[in-house]
Amino acid sequence: MPGGSRPPIIRFDHASFGFPGVTALEDITLSIEAGEFVGVIGPNGSGKTTLCRAVLGLLAPIKGQLHIFDCACQELRCHHRAKIGYLPQKGVVDRDFPVTVFETVMMGRYGALGLFHRPGPEDRRIALESLALVAMERYKDTALGHLSGGQQQRVFIARALAQQPKVLLLDEPTTGLDLPMQHNVIELIQHLHETLRLTVLLITHDINMIRSRVDRLVLLKTRLHAAGPPADVLKPNILEQVYGKGLVISDKDLVIVEDYHHSH
Amino acid sequence: MLDLFAYDFMQRSLFAAAMVGGLCSLIGVFVVLRGLAFVGAGTSHAAFAGVTLGYLIGWPPLLLAVAFGVATVWITGWLEEQGRMKLDVSIGILYTATMALAIVFIGLMKTYNAEVYGYLFGSVLSVTGEELLLIGGLAALVLGLLIAFWKELLFIAFDQEMAEASGVPARQIFFLLLTLVALTVVVSLKTVGAILVFAMILIPASTAYQLTHSLTTLTLYSVIIGTATALTGVVVSTVWDIPSGPSIVLLATAVFFFSLVISPKKLRVSSGHLR
Repeated sequence: MPGGSRPPIIRFDHASFGFPGVTALEDITLSIEAGEFVGVIGPNGSGKTTLCRAVLGLLAPIKGQLHIFDCACQELRCHHRAKIGYLPQKGVVDRDFPVTVFETVMMGRYGALGLFHRPGPEDRRIALESLALVAMERYKDTALGHLSGGQQQRVFIARALAQQPKVLLLDEPTTGLDLPMQHNVIELIQHLHETLRLTVLLITHDINMIRSRVDRLVLLKTRLHAAGPPADVLKPNILEQVYGKGLVISDKDLVIVEDYHHSH
Repeated sequence: MLDLFAYDFMQRSLFAAAMVGGLCSLIGVFVVLRGLAFVGAGTSHAAFAGVTLGYLIGWPPLLLAVAFGVATVWITGWLEEQGRMKLDVSIGILYTATMALAIVFIGLMKTYNAEVYGYLFGSVLSVTGEELLLIGGLAALVLGLLIAFWKELLFIAFDQEMAEASGVPARQIFFLLLTLVALTVVVSLKTVGAILVFAMILIPASTAYQLTHSLTTLTLYSVIIGTATALTGVVVSTVWDIPSGPSIVLLATAVFFFSLVISPKKLRVSSGHLR
C-alpha cells in the first residue's frame, strides 16, 4: 500500500510537535494514502495522541510540515476538519449529559453545516444512516448515558460517520471495554473501512487485536521507529528497542506486548 | 393583594423579574452543562466593580459593568486556553480582586450611595422604565445569540475538543458563551444583585438537570422554574416586605432541594451505579 499509486491524504515532512522545551514528536516523515488502514502503536507517552491532535489540525508543527488534504496544517479550515471523523479516548462522557443517541450523532453534522444553518431532512437522513451502519438505529431515542460503554463507542463512531468523513481517526477505541466488545468494535471499524473505503488511522495499545487487520503499522516512541506492513514492524529487535524488556514474544506470529510503562 | 398589580412599579418589577429569571435560567443550561458555575459568581463581582467605578467617575454604571464583566471572563477563558491554570483558580483570583476593587471604589466615594448597594443586593422594586428598556434590549441580544448559536453551544458544552475537531469554531463559540454569561449577569444586577445573580443562573438549570435526560425538556424546565421563582419571589417580597433578591433565590433553592427528592437520577445512587 505505501508508495502505491493512491495520493497521500496525510503527509508529515520532517515534522516535530510539542511545546517550548518539550518535544512530544520529533522529525516525523510519513505519508498516509487514501483508503489505507493504518495502526499507530507505541508505549505510553510515545506521542500517539500528539499525532492524533496534529492530524485533527489542533496542533501545528514546531518544525517541518504537515499537510492534510494538500492543505498545510496551520491553514486547516473548519470544512477540512469536518472531513476527519474523530473518536476520542473513552471516559470523557458525562453520563448525565441530557442528550439522546440521535442528538449525539446529529452533532457530527454541525461542522459541515456551518454557522447559522439548522439541520434539515437530509442531515437527519445522514444521521439515521450512520446509526444504521453501526447497528444502533433502534436506540436513537435513548439517552446516551443509558447505554453501555461499547454501545456508546458505536454511537460515537456513528457521529464520526455522520460527518461523511474521508478519514476516520480513532484514539484507543477499545480502552475500557470487555474482550468481546473490543473485538466487536474493531470488527465494526474494519467493516466500515472495507465498505465505505475510508482511510482509517487507529491508535491503540492492542497490537494483537489489529495486527491482522491493518495495511500498515506505525511504531512511535517520540520518533518514528518503524512504519510498514505488520510483519516488517513487529520484529523482536524493533519492539524490544521501543518497549524494553516488558515484551513477550511467544513465536514469530504471536506477539504479546505488555506496555512497558504499565508493567514498570 | 391583587391591588398590588395595578401599580406601575409592581408591573415593571414583575416584567423585569420575568425577563431576568427566564434569561438567567436559559444561559444557566449551558453554564451547568459546560461546568462554568463559578464563572457566574466571578463575573457578577467583576460587574459590580464596574458599577461602583461608574458611580465614582460619573460614567454609566451598566456600561462599565459590561466592560468589567466581559474583560474578566475573557481573561479567565484565555488563561484556561493557554493551559496556564484551571478556570476555577483564575476566576477565584479575579473574583476576589474585582471585589477588592469595588470596595476601594466605594471607599473613594465622598458620600453614601444607596443605589450602589441596590446593585449589590438587588432591588427589583425600584427598576425604572429606562432600566427596563436597557434590560429588555440586552436580554433580546443575549436570547438572539443563544438561538443563533444553539447547536454550536450544545456541542462545546458536550465536548469542546470534539467540537473543534469536527469543524465547529469551538474556541470562538466558547468565548461567545463567556460573553453571554457576562451580559446576562449585567442584565440581572439591578434585579437580584451581584451577590445573588449567580444563584439565578445556576439553580434553575441545576434543578431541571435533576429531572430529565432530554436537553429540550431540561431547557424548558429551567426557564419555567427560573421565571416562576422570579415572579413568585417578587410577589412574596412585596407582600412580606423582605428584599426581592433573597426571596427569589430562597424560593429557587427550595425548589432545587425538592427536585433532589423527586429526581429519577437519584435511583442510580441507591442502586450503586453512580460514577
